[in-house]
Amino acid sequence: MKSYRQAFIHFLLFSLLTFGGASFTVLNAAELKKVEADVATPELKLESLDGKTIDLKDFQGSVVLVQFWATYCTPCRKEMPSMNNLMKKLAESKTPFKILAVNMGETKEEVQKFVDEVKPEFTILMDSKGEHVQAWNVFAAPSNFVIDGKGKIRYTLFGGVDWDSDDIVNTIKQLAADTAADVKQAADGDTDAKDAMEAKTDKTDKDSPEK
Amino acid sequence: MVFTRNVFVKPASVLKLFLIIFATFVLNTASATTADDVKIFSTNDDTEIEVRIFKGDGDQLLLGFACDQGSSMAEEKTAHELAMDGVEVWMPDMLSAYMLPKLRSSLADIPTDGLLKIIEEAQKTGKRVYLIASGPDTELILRVAAEWEQLHAGDDKKKLAGAILMFPRLNKDKPEPGKPPIYQDAVGKTHLPIMVLEGERTPNRWGIGHLTNALKKGGSTVYAKLIPDVRGYFFKRDDPNIPENVVTSQLPGLIKASLFFLGRAH
Repeated sequence: MKSYRQAFIHFLLFSLLTFGGASFTVLNAAELKKVEADVATPELKLESLDGKTIDLKDFQGSVVLVQFWATYCTPCRKEMPSMNNLMKKLAESKTPFKILAVNMGETKEEVQKFVDEVKPEFTILMDSKGEHVQAWNVFAAPSNFVIDGKGKIRYTLFGGVDWDSDDIVNTIKQLAADTAADVKQAADGDTDAKDAMEAKTDKTDKDSPEK
Repeated sequence: MVFTRNVFVKPASVLKLFLIIFATFVLNTASATTADDVKIFSTNDDTEIEVRIFKGDGDQLLLGFACDQGSSMAEEKTAHELAMDGVEVWMPDMLSAYMLPKLRSSLADIPTDGLLKIIEEAQKTGKRVYLIASGPDTELILRVAAEWEQLHAGDDKKKLAGAILMFPRLNKDKPEPGKPPIYQDAVGKTHLPIMVLEGERTPNRWGIGHLTNALKKGGSTVYAKLIPDVRGYFFKRDDPNIPENVVTSQLPGLIKASLFFLGRAH
């Protein structure tokens, strides 16, 4: 009797793993991939769903997640609530961060309907002609690019993922911290160079025969 | 243990449950074909391939629609309508022939000799033979076409007339944002005229130009058409929307138009 019971439990477990697993594997299957090469970041200047012109260049100093998505893309729909959470988590830690979600060639009506339903709390950009899709070499959705505060693509990710996972939150925090450190170092370097230049100028002025 | 007691079912009930599942599976998969004829072709290694034949009285023969009984009803209906309109359709069941599961990974395991044999048989009808496949199955027909051309180089009588690739999924690996796709080895190896049909509501539409260029590398004339308002796999979906239902019902016309374009390439 016990073996039948065990067999039945095994059957249930097998069924759950085989048929139920699919719903668990949709998200978290992908992970951020570090971009090792020095890749030029294409221009990103588009109109948002609410009619404002948004330029990626205006977010220097912040980490930016640029996502290419579509309303018919199931993983896009599933992961957007986690993108809202990611923004909240990073705002709590005062990490400078922005999401620009570029819709791939759909109409305003289609996107608005989706937005009313899914309620993304980040900026939706409209690439109605797909020109940016082409320029960014995007061939699938969702396609993600994580850009550091200096405008460089540092990570990419294809597919749906839980954006508010500790791993991703920490990666973005670290990227923001690295950028801030680089900016500070550059600023300190500039100050040192300026001081050195001023000192040299003083010395030159003093040594100048005309003086 | 309390949990196991609560869910415990008598062995007889377990057996009954299995029988119900099995019966449902059998009923689902054993739906009768509407084909006019079913032929079995044997390859040199005695693999038997079942081919459903929808007879048409015209001079065009469409070979493909990788299929399996029971889950290809839209294809069968389309084949039936094409046959009524003069286009003969042959639908080989490649996965069953090689006892492969219906998985994307199975496609790479399908040897070409079976399809080469079927092409040979199809050409004996004297009709112009076109190939058709959808999704990842398109890799198989490109592979077979390239091999056929190599085997019969210079023999005009053995020329295939063209291929229709419906929402082809020919990437070798997962897409990588920021990088152009790397295609399966079969891409760009044939000089067969090709028609690519892609849904407008799929991200793959943005790669259609890139794929077209890759296909042209073999010397093919390639046409590419976007079908408005439909997603990829539109005729195989469990959740079709209104445009997808409409286009599925118009599939024979879409294929006939594709054959017309391919005919112009010669």
